[in-house]
Amino acid sequence: MNKIKKFVTNLLKDYFSEQDKKELISIMTTSLEEKVEDLVEQGTPVDKAIEQSINEFGSTDDVLEAFPKKDIDYQQKIVKTRKHQFWYSILGYTLIVGLALFFNLTFIAVFRSVYWFIVVAIGMVFWPGTMFFRYREVKK
Amino acid sequence: MINSDIIRGNVDAIILKLLMEQDMYGYELANVIKNRTKDKFTIKEATLYSAVTRLEARELISSYIGEKTRGGKRRYYRITSFGKAYYAEIIKDWHLLNEIMVAILGSDIG
Repeated sequence: MNKIKKFVTNLLKDYFSEQDKKELISIMTTSLEEKVEDLVEQGTPVDKAIEQSINEFGSTDDVLEAFPKKDIDYQQKIVKTRKHQFWYSILGYTLIVGLALFFNLTFIAVFRSVYWFIVVAIGMVFWPGTMFFRYREVKK
Repeated sequence: MINSDIIRGNVDAIILKLLMEQDMYGYELANVIKNRTKDKFTIKEATLYSAVTRLEARELISSYIGEKTRGGKRRYYRITSFGKAYYAEIIKDWHLLNEIMVAILGSDIG
């Protein structure tokens, strides 16, 4: 029956929040397993019943058909935007801390004796930290 | 076989109506729809179970684990009082739509 759960999980992988996805996977897996049981009771071999159930189940598009398109589009857009913001903050963080490190180690002798860039590195952590938290919130 | 675009908006009504008649499990719903429409409308199970999940999230239906006739367990769905009220609203809209279509299409659909 793992094959069924794997199939359903793969079908939904790029859509829905984590919580909704978990609920959908649970309901779809149960329903498919019930179908397999019914087919087996009617005399179909287990392997064939699993194959048949998976083949007749439908596609990701069939899943999405049951939900108002605007809800899915909006959710997808928000997740995508937050993900981009998170990666942008990582890039920004790396550049700023990199610059601080460069100035710290390159110029004036007094700069070299104290590793002050660490203060910048810690101070800037709030940015990717916040962005990651915001991304995780909508992904849930 | 009916154009699925026409019937898409009515999947909720179909599920609620069938659950008003009796509690059913997912695959049973799919089978009843197939048999009752004499194969003129076969809903993809992916669509059906997604609609069921959506209706349950809106508390129009609820689920419980029930016993199978020959042992084992099944997840059955039942309509809630909200679901019954919502179904009554759908039927009202359906009558209105019917009147509108008859007024416009007239004898072509009579």
